[in-house]
Amino acid sequence: MLRILIKPELCAGCKNCQVACLAEHSPSGSVWLADLSGGHGRPRNSVELNSRDLPVPLTCRHCQEPECVTACITGALSKNPATGLVEHDQGRCAGCWMCVMSCPFGMISPEALEKKTAVKCDFCQGRETPRCVEACPTGAICLAEVSPETGNNTTPGEAPKEEGLH
Amino acid sequence: MRVCISADQVLNDFLAARSGVETSFNRVPPQAVKCGFGMQGVCCRLCSNGPCRITPKSPRGVCGASPDTMVARNFLRAVAAGAACYLHIVENAAVNLREIGRGNSQLPLKGTGLLNELADSLETGGRDRNEKAVNLAERVLADLYLPRNDKMRLVQKLAYGPRFELWRQGGLLPGGAKSEVFDALVKTSTNLSSDPVDMLLHSLRLGIATGLYGLAMTNKINDIIWGEPQIRTARAGFGVVDPDYVNIMITGHQQSLAGILQDALLSPEAADMARAAGAAGFRIIGSTCVGQDMQLRAAHCPEVFAGQTGNNFTTEALVATGAIDLVVSEFNCTLPGMETVCRQMLVPQICLDDVAKKQNAELLPFDIRETRAIAGKIMRGAADSFAARRKNVTVNVPSHGYDDVLTGLSEKTLKNFLGGSYKPLIDLIAAGSIKGIAAVVGCSNLTAGGHDIFTVGMTRELIKRDIIVLSAGCTSGALENVGLMSPAAAELAGESLKKVCLSLGIPPVLNFGPCLAIGRLEETAADIAAELGVDLPKLPLIISAPQWLEEQALADGAFGLALGLTLHLAIPPFITGSELVTGILTKGLENITGGRVIVDGDINSTVDRLEAVILDKRAGLGL
Repeated sequence: MLRILIKPELCAGCKNCQVACLAEHSPSGSVWLADLSGGHGRPRNSVELNSRDLPVPLTCRHCQEPECVTACITGALSKNPATGLVEHDQGRCAGCWMCVMSCPFGMISPEALEKKTAVKCDFCQGRETPRCVEACPTGAICLAEVSPETGNNTTPGEAPKEEGLH
Repeated sequence: MRVCISADQVLNDFLAARSGVETSFNRVPPQAVKCGFGMQGVCCRLCSNGPCRITPKSPRGVCGASPDTMVARNFLRAVAAGAACYLHIVENAAVNLREIGRGNSQLPLKGTGLLNELADSLETGGRDRNEKAVNLAERVLADLYLPRNDKMRLVQKLAYGPRFELWRQGGLLPGGAKSEVFDALVKTSTNLSSDPVDMLLHSLRLGIATGLYGLAMTNKINDIIWGEPQIRTARAGFGVVDPDYVNIMITGHQQSLAGILQDALLSPEAADMARAAGAAGFRIIGSTCVGQDMQLRAAHCPEVFAGQTGNNFTTEALVATGAIDLVVSEFNCTLPGMETVCRQMLVPQICLDDVAKKQNAELLPFDIRETRAIAGKIMRGAADSFAARRKNVTVNVPSHGYDDVLTGLSEKTLKNFLGGSYKPLIDLIAAGSIKGIAAVVGCSNLTAGGHDIFTVGMTRELIKRDIIVLSAGCTSGALENVGLMSPAAAELAGESLKKVCLSLGIPPVLNFGPCLAIGRLEETAADIAAELGVDLPKLPLIISAPQWLEEQALADGAFGLALGLTLHLAIPPFITGSELVTGILTKGLENITGGRVIVDGDINSTVDRLEAVILDKRAGLGL
């Protein structure tokens, strides 16, 4: 199973991952045409500074035991057993924001324009490589193979890194 | 979300109490994540193959441009834009002087003494004051418009002798200033120059054109029109604003434009208009560098100029006091964010120069032949605004600033203050009572620790170590508003400098006014060097533009480097992506002009390094 692996030490803070996410979920899908002023909503990922003022990309971790899924009362959120992805069904979302409150990483939010349902990373819905991974110029956001049972990184030569926001 | 802080505690408290007003201070945290490529100067957008950025996996642009080429191109473009800004100012000032001389304006010339001096020293001549004004202005304009292979004629007379010789030998003499800017754009366009060294030398030529014309000549022309600076004590800070008056806030850099209000607001018609609106009269509220310039020359308009309130990033807060009735802008440091605050506080805006056209401002194009009509429209607009808005807004002017700021320092007034020669200052330096001179200049930004945090912190540490500070730019607004330009600040200086200050009745930080006065500091330094019989790099003097903000500051900095001075910056000028460019600016250049850049973002380590430079130069002079 593939997951997004963050290597914060490589992040240049260019926010290109945010531009790419916004573009992917905009009508044209184009970076040239994506409305960076908010007309197409907000990117589903972000870049934040850690306590040492270094930039760290943040994106949904598609957790092994997702808090958002546990909190969801309508069943809109689910963990796909085949792909391991945490999926969100807009049609079933009641907009109660329990998921928003329970995600420890702040990676699911009310949709910025209508504010009726939640939005989160959808791994670019079957795209071979998610746009943020493609757009990252330094390799800070990359793909890694993980074990379906444990969620641990199994990419050869890649040790899991805990370095994040702190 | 944390808000950006200022070294000025009253300003912090004022902004905290005005939570309904968004200023630049609020916008700092959401802009805190920066692009690493931009910071290092290795993003290139010169063609449709880009934007190209430099990473370990992509060490060159698609065209093959190296990081050195990218950085040098970006740097030269920024210096050229900054030079263009100052050259625009001197062009306007010279046109105005020419038209006054031709009799096309009723404005008087208040600094004819200087006009006579320059007619002699620059050999521009003229039978009477009008002809002298026309001749001088035409000579300046002629130089600005020369092609690039034709060297500007006045440079030799304006520059310090040993520097002129060095520039001549090094191929650094600038051709026509506007052509130098123009060709910098050509040079840095797609697939033209790839030579970082040639582009850095071009930056130095732009620096010389900026310094001698954009800065020094603008000062001289404005001194001729509006009167020369005089040393005096003045009030500074938001406290200068009296809500009983119709208050016209000015922002920009061109006293040659905004100055037309000075006499107009004192006319009987103005008094009637203000009275009819329910006000005690009209006042000009100084802000940004044009306010510093007016403060410098305020002896010539003491009744109508209320005083200087603060620098670039205090402008939004000043409008938020509610006591401003009209904003008149003519150049930069007029923040776009101020427009939102103006709308909130029902303050109309007028622009006098379309280079600084604000979206919600009325453009009133300046014309020296129509100054009465323009001033009349501004007065009318301000009085109408006062009458309409005052009942609908809350006015809250904080108790802020100092009423004993020493102002009016210039290359001439300082010398006169010292008895007509720099010898007394040199003696104090030789005796060690003053260790050296630090010119703390340039802008304010919100990123070097916060608003004025680095500037104020570094200045306090410099004077503690007996280094006297001369300020020109937004740094002046910062330092006067925290009390460092008031005589009582002598107590904060080291023992030796404190004694000097107490005996002369001066503060340890001397207020030369606006960024344009960096030109005055250069003349002061040249005078001191001449008295000692040495070239500028030998002087125990450093420049720091700790909180440089904009492209103009980079053009000023290029002038400092051409003069052979050590220049400190707290934030790198987007060059660190190139080892070559960084190496030349911080080391190699010392072998060419004697100047170099020190980049240091820590106050204590900066002052240690600057003090070491001063001690080294003292040793070089045998002190």
